Amino acid sequence: MLVVLKAKLKDILNTLAEEYKVLVPAKIEDTSKFISYKDNVDIILDENVKLSPKDVFFPQTEKMYKMKTVKTSMELENITDEAGKKLLFGVRSCDMKSLDCFDQVFLTKGYIDEFYKNKRDSVVTIALSCSQPMQTCFCSAMGVDSQKAVGADVQAYDLGDKIGLEAISDEGSKVIELIKGQLTEEGAEVPQPGEFYLKVDADGVSEKLNGMFESPIWDDVSKKCLNCGACTYVCPTCHCFDISQEVRGENVTKYRCWDSCMFGEYTQMAGGHNPRPTKKERVRNRFMHKLNYFPDRYNMLLCTGCGRCINVCPVNLDITSVIKQIKEAE
Amino acid sequence: MCENCSCGNDHNHDHDHDQNVLIPQRGKIINIVEETSDTKTFSISTIDDKKPFDPQPGQLGMLSLGNVGEAIFSVTNKGENHIEMAIKAVGELTNALHEVEVGQEVGIRGAYGNGFPLDFCKGKDLLFIGGGIGLAPVRSLIMHCIRNRDDYGKLTVIYGARSKADLCFKEDLFENWPKVPNMDVFVTIDREEEGWDGHVGFVPSYVEELALKPQVTVVCGPPIMIKFTLPGLQKMGYADTDIITTLEMRMKCGVGKCGRCNIGSKYVCLDGPVFTLAEMKDLPQEY
Amino acid sequence: MVDLTLEIRKTAKELLEKGEAKVVLGWEKGNFPYSTTPVFIDKPEDTERLIWDEYCINNLALYMLDYKHLDGKVGIFVKGCDSRGINRLVQDKQLDREKVILIGLSCPGMKDEKKAKELGPNADIPMAQKCQDCRYPDPVVYDVFLGEKQNKKVPEKIDTSDVEEMETKSPDEKYRFFTTNYEKCLRCYACRNVCPACNCKECIFDQTATGWLAKANNVSNNMFFALTRAMHVGGRCIECGECERVCSVNIPIMLLNKKIIKDINFLFGDYDAGLETEERLPLGGYDYTDPEEFM
Ligand SMILES: Cc1cc2nc3c(=O)[nH]c(=O)nc-3n(C[C@H](O)[C@H](O)[C@H](O)COP(=O)(O)OP(=O)(O)OC[C@H]3O[C@@H](n4cnc5c(N)ncnc54)[C@H](O)[C@@H]3O)c2cc1C
Ligand code: SF4
Ligand code: SF4
Ligand code: SF4
Ligand code: SF4
Ligand code: SF4
Ligand code: FES
Repeated sequence: MLVVLKAKLKDILNTLAEEYKVLVPAKIEDTSKFISYKDNVDIILDENVKLSPKDVFFPQTEKMYKMKTVKTSMELENITDEAGKKLLFGVRSCDMKSLDCFDQVFLTKGYIDEFYKNKRDSVVTIALSCSQPMQTCFCSAMGVDSQKAVGADVQAYDLGDKIGLEAISDEGSKVIELIKGQLTEEGAEVPQPGEFYLKVDADGVSEKLNGMFESPIWDDVSKKCLNCGACTYVCPTCHCFDISQEVRGENVTKYRCWDSCMFGEYTQMAGGHNPRPTKKERVRNRFMHKLNYFPDRYNMLLCTGCGRCINVCPVNLDITSVIKQIKEAE
Repeated sequence: MCENCSCGNDHNHDHDHDQNVLIPQRGKIINIVEETSDTKTFSISTIDDKKPFDPQPGQLGMLSLGNVGEAIFSVTNKGENHIEMAIKAVGELTNALHEVEVGQEVGIRGAYGNGFPLDFCKGKDLLFIGGGIGLAPVRSLIMHCIRNRDDYGKLTVIYGARSKADLCFKEDLFENWPKVPNMDVFVTIDREEEGWDGHVGFVPSYVEELALKPQVTVVCGPPIMIKFTLPGLQKMGYADTDIITTLEMRMKCGVGKCGRCNIGSKYVCLDGPVFTLAEMKDLPQEY
Repeated sequence: MVDLTLEIRKTAKELLEKGEAKVVLGWEKGNFPYSTTPVFIDKPEDTERLIWDEYCINNLALYMLDYKHLDGKVGIFVKGCDSRGINRLVQDKQLDREKVILIGLSCPGMKDEKKAKELGPNADIPMAQKCQDCRYPDPVVYDVFLGEKQNKKVPEKIDTSDVEEMETKSPDEKYRFFTTNYEKCLRCYACRNVCPACNCKECIFDQTATGWLAKANNVSNNMFFALTRAMHVGGRCIECGECERVCSVNIPIMLLNKKIIKDINFLFGDYDAGLETEERLPLGGYDYTDPEEFM
C-alpha cells in the first residue's frame, strides 16, 4: 500500500491544491466541517466533522435562477456553478454512504436534479477509514463498513501515524498519479476498526415497521421532541428542501434551501388542513422515512449511523433507542 | 415503462433531459375565464405561442409569477398551443394570479404526475363525480374522452357546489357537455336558492339517489365529500380498483425530490396524484 | 443523589397511584453515562425509569405547553432554573399554576454533557456553564420539596464580564464577532424551541408566507432571527442557559441575552425574571419614572 506520514499530509494537499479546489475536515469557530484547504487550517483526523459534507453537494441555501420582472414581462436568467474540480479529502464511510442515498434521490426515478448533478460530477472524493469510532457512531449496524467506503475515488486508511492510500476509480488513479512522488510503498494491511460503544441491532427493522404506522410507540417516542430541525439539518442523508424567492424590486432570485419534516409549516396546506398536525406525526415521519419508506422506495436505509443527530438533539431523542423500541414492540 | 427515455418511470414522459427540471419555461397567459367569484381558468402558452408541454389527463403543472411564487395546479384541458388551469384564490400566489390580465408572463413547468389510467378506462362506461374546484383534475379526463368519443362508453357527470355562484365550468356543464352524444350531466347545489330549479342536496346523497352504475368512477373534490361518497360507491358494488381519485399534499418541486408530498413511501407529485381506492388503502392514513 | 432517586420514584408513584397527577415529568437515563432524557410517566410501575443524577440538565418547564388542555394535573420535578421556567409560563398566562404539582429539587449544578463527550469516560467533567452562572439552584417555587436545600454559595450578581468585554470592542470587531458566529447558525430553532420564554402560540419565524423572515440561510437573515429572539425574551429570560446549551454549532447565545439583562438592570433597576409571577415585567409597561434618553 502507498503511504504517507500524517505529519507530511499537508505536502500532499498542497500538491493536490494545484489541480483541485481541496476541501478538508477542519475545526472552525467552535464547530467542525469541510472547508477550503489552506496551509493554516486546523485539519482533524481523529474524529468525524460535526457538520456533514452534504452542503458541498446540496448547499443549505442554493440560488437556482434569476428573473427580471418588469410590468407584465418576466425574463429568466440561469446561474452557473463555479467552474473547476473539487477534491474532498477525508470523508468517512458513513458520509460516503449518505452520498449514495443522495444519488438515489436526486438522480433516479425519472428526473435528474441538475443542481445536484453538476456539483456531484465536479467532486472527487478521498474517503478515510476510522481507527476508533466516536461514542455516538453506529455505522456498522446500518450496514456501513467504516474501513471501506462506497463510491469513493480514493480510499485512505488511518494507520496510526501514517495514512495509506488506494485508488478505487479512474479519477482516483489520477489523484494518486499526481502525488505518487510523495508516497512510499509499504506492506500495510487494511486496519481493523475499533470497538463500537453503541450496540445497535437494526436487522429487520424496516420490515418490522411495515405494520407499525399506527403503533403506540410513536406517541411515546415523540413526547419529548421539540420539533426543532437540529437532527435533520446535521443529518448527512436528510435532503428535504423548500423553494422560495428573494425579491429586490424587479430582480428576483429563486433559491432552494434545506427544510425539515420536523417543522409544522412543511406540510401546511391551503384551508388550514395539515396532514401532520402534531409532533407525533412529524417524528413518525422522520423515523419511518429513514427506516421504512426510503428502503421501500430505494432499497437502502436512509440512516448511515453517523450519530450526528444523537449528538445535537437537545433532549437526547436517540435514534438507536428508537430502533430498539421498534424491535421490541409487539 | 417510459418509452421516451430510460428514466425508469412507469408512464411516458416527454420531458427533455437536458432541461433543468426545476427551472420553468417562460410562458404567458393568453386567456382568462371567470368561473366563480374565487376561481378563474387561465390559458397558458409559451412566449412563442407553443404549448408549454403536452400533459396527459390528470397531470400537473407548476405555475409561477416571478415576484410572488410558484404552486402546483391540475391541468384541466389542453389546446393546440396552450394548456388550461383552473385556480382558486386561497393564498399569496393564487390571489396575485387573480389580479393579472391577459398578456402577463409567467413561469411554467411540467407535466408532472402519473395522470389517469387511460388504457384502463378505454371502452368503459365512466362516472365522474366532482365537488367545487375538485372538478378541475377530472375535467381534463372528461375533455379527453369527448375528444376521443369513440374510445369510451357512456359518460356521466355528477357535480355539486355550495351554491349556484360556486359552480365551476358552467359553460361545459350546461351548454357543451349535455350536447355530447351518450353523455349525461347532473348538477346539484347544497341549499335551496332562488332561480335554481335543479337538484338540491349534497353530492354523496345525490350519487346514492341516482344509483347509476357505470363501470369505472372518478371522484375528486374536498376530502369531506370524498369521505362520504366512497361508502355509497362501495355499497353500489364498485370494486376498489374501479374507484379512482386524486390526492393533494403540499408540493414544492413536483418531481419527487423535495420530499414533502410523501404519503408513506409514495410521492404524490410523482406516483400520484391519481390513485385507485385499492392503492389508497395501501397508503398510511396521513393526507 | 442515589437516595434522592429513590425518593423521586416514590413521590411520583404516589402522585400517580392516588390520582393526584395524570402524568409526571422527570428525567431518565440516556444511552451514555453523561446523558439523560426527559420522560413522561403515566403508569405507577414506570416510575422506576426516573432518575436524579448530575446530568439531569434539561429544563422541563416548557413541556407544560403540551399539557395545557390536559384534564387533570401534571407533576413535574423542578430544579432552580426549571422552577423559574414555570413562573415564566404562569406570568405569561400560558399555564395555570393550579394545574401543576411542583416537586422541588435542590440542584448541585449539572455537569457539561458536551465536555463529557469530548473528554472521555475517566476525565473530571466540569460543571455546565449555565450551572456555573446559576444564582438560584434551589427552586423558587414548589409544592413538595425532596432532599435538603443546599443553600449553595452562588454569585451575588449576574456575571456580565463577557458582555463588558464585548462592549469595549470596536464596532468592526463586534461586527466580525457576531457575523462569524451567525454565519454558522443553521436556523434549526432548537434555541427557540427549548426556551420557556419562547412560548408564543404562533412564532413570527414560522410565518414564512409573510415575508418577515425568509427561509434563506444567510448572515443577515440569521442575525435578524437572533436579535429578534433575544429582544423578544428581553425582561422575560430566566437565564436558564438552555438556548446556548442546545445550539448545535456552539453560538454564545447567552452573550446577547445577558447584554439585554444588563441594560434592563441599568435602565429599570435590578430584575431577575421568573422569581415571582405578579410584578409587572420591566419591558411590560410604562412608568413616568422610566428613563427616556432614546426619545
Ligand atoms: C396535486 C395538486 C393539485 C392541485 N390542483 C389545483 C387546482 O387545480 N386548482 C387550484 O386552485 N389549486 C390546486 N391545488 C392547490 C394549490 O396548489 C394551492 O392552492 C396553492 O399552492 C396555494 O398557493 P398560494 O401561494 O396562493 O398560497 P400560499 O399563500 O402559499 O398559502 C396559502 C395556504 O395554502 C397552503 N399551500 C401552499 N402550497 C400548497 C400546495 N401546494 N398544496 C396545498 N396547500 C398549499 C399554505 O400552507 C397556506 O396554508 C393543487 C394542489 C395539489 C397538491
Ligand atoms: S433534534 Fe431532537 S428535539 Fe429536535 S426535532 Fe430532532 S429529535 Fe426532536
Ligand atoms: S439519522 Fe442520525 S445517525 Fe442516521 S444518518 Fe442521520 S444524523 Fe446520522
Ligand atoms: S459513523 Fe462509522 S464511518 Fe462514520 S465516523 Fe463513525 S465510525 Fe467512522
Ligand atoms: S440553536 Fe444555534 S444553530 Fe440552531 S437556530 Fe439557535 S442559534 Fe442557530
Ligand atoms: S433565552 Fe435562553 S436562557 Fe433565557 S429563558 Fe430562554 S432558553 Fe433560558
Ligand atoms: S413536490 Fe417535491 S417531492 Fe413531491
